Amino acid sequence: MTETVLETEGLTKYYGSTLAVDHLVLKIPQGCICGFVGRNGAGKTTAIKLMLGLLRPTAGSSRLLGCDSAALTPAIRQRIGYVTEGHRLFRWMSIAELEKFQRSFFPKQWDHKFFADMIEYFNLPKKRKIKHLSIGERAQVSLALALAPNPELLIMDDPTLGLDAAIRRQFLEGMIELIMRQGRTVLFSSHILGDVERVSDRIVVIDKGVLRANCSLEEFRTAVKKVTLSFPDSPPADVDIEGLLHCRRSEKELELILIGPADEHIAEWAQRNGAEKYHIVKMNLEDQFIEYTAPPNHRRLFQWEEK
Amino acid sequence: MRFLALLRKELRESLPWMLLAAIIFLAIGGFVLRAQAYLGQPSWYYSGLSPGTVVDTYRLTHFSPLRMTGSWLLVTSIGLGLALGVRHFWMPLFTRTWPFLIHRSANRPTILWAKLAAAIISFIIPVGVVWVALYRYSCRPEIFETLPTKRVFIEGWLFILLGLVAYLGTALAGLSSARWYTTKILGLAFATIVICMTIFQWRLGWAFAVLVVGVVVLLSQIIDAFLNREF
Repeated sequence: MTETVLETEGLTKYYGSTLAVDHLVLKIPQGCICGFVGRNGAGKTTAIKLMLGLLRPTAGSSRLLGCDSAALTPAIRQRIGYVTEGHRLFRWMSIAELEKFQRSFFPKQWDHKFFADMIEYFNLPKKRKIKHLSIGERAQVSLALALAPNPELLIMDDPTLGLDAAIRRQFLEGMIELIMRQGRTVLFSSHILGDVERVSDRIVVIDKGVLRANCSLEEFRTAVKKVTLSFPDSPPADVDIEGLLHCRRSEKELELILIGPADEHIAEWAQRNGAEKYHIVKMNLEDQFIEYTAPPNHRRLFQWEEK
Repeated sequence: MRFLALLRKELRESLPWMLLAAIIFLAIGGFVLRAQAYLGQPSWYYSGLSPGTVVDTYRLTHFSPLRMTGSWLLVTSIGLGLALGVRHFWMPLFTRTWPFLIHRSANRPTILWAKLAAAIISFIIPVGVVWVALYRYSCRPEIFETLPTKRVFIEGWLFILLGLVAYLGTALAGLSSARWYTTKILGLAFATIVICMTIFQWRLGWAFAVLVVGVVVLLSQIIDAFLNREF
């Protein structure tokens, strides 16, 4: 049986009257790379900080490596790598000083060679101060600092934000380096769905603080479908197809966003309702995510209808 | 090892302020004492008195030139306290480095004690050492006619500790997540009250008692705020 390294139970967080995370129930098994995706303000950073015990939940609880997040001991924290949003490091330190500082907290498990190799791979001078590094270079230092102690669980809050394509690729390769170490688990939030698609094997979708999906990436890719149907006359008023998420209609066409139905079921529904032809549109993960989390006002703007 | 790493970090962050405080106090204190030595204290004081004026013996025996540096010591000390408080507890908020500092294999009390230990060292080394140096200089009878008493020296340490109270007040304000115009400023307000009450005590014992009570109240609040704060 696969061990669960991260578990939340009804995790809820209010900032004043604003609900940031709403009864998040989540289980992340050991050894997976989990992309934590959501729009701006969806509650990703808050959820991550709650999991790490940096914020206190209004209700619910979370556990990391079997330990309650509210009482993470130094020994447990030693097993968890964390890359902060925006790669906020001590600006006055040089890379070498920062390594020395960080190493003090991982006396037995710090892999100096790995850190040095990564810094060399990223072509960063060790004597350069953090304040003189670009955001991309800071991201690379941040990743090296998080990976050098060989953590069992790596949590990264939007690590590729603001990085150009080349540095993002380098960053992801660095991440894969960790993943190749057996049994390591990665949870990373991101806006860039291409990154999630490239490295993740699991996806967690959060929208307005509510968990919308927690499944394997393959499952998500197979489940979210867009179908366009053409009718000789006006499309049926009542769209009663299974798994309907959104429905957009024009004079003689219907565009449906569906969750889960088999292609045969779609074909059968199209035939039953007199559609002249239908087409299952091929979507990439980004399109799927946008359709899946499309807000109500967005739907109205484009004359979408809810089921 | 972890504590030492944290202490080194905090001391390094305090270093510019330590040097600045030491340089300012040494320059002003040194200038005041040198000026008094040059002018020939206490002639400046008595030159303004008319013949037959009665002068109390306290002024003749206790009014050493070192006393004139006391107010500068107090200002420097409180200034250093405010600067260090901002550096240790406000700057991580502005630079958003709290999560990077907090999430590591050290518990929160260790992180807090490292900050407080760094603050104490930052007071003792620059301001305390300069104060001792100025005291020793003003104790030379070949230069000064009135030598400082022990009380003047102890009062100086009291002023240095008042800087620490300012530090704790700033720290508490920095840790508060309330809005600045509400309860956030209570820490600073309380520190101001403690400083005023200490200065206005004539008996040194009472002054120290007020200071100790103030420090204990601020410290207990800081510990509670730091251990339970969200970062």
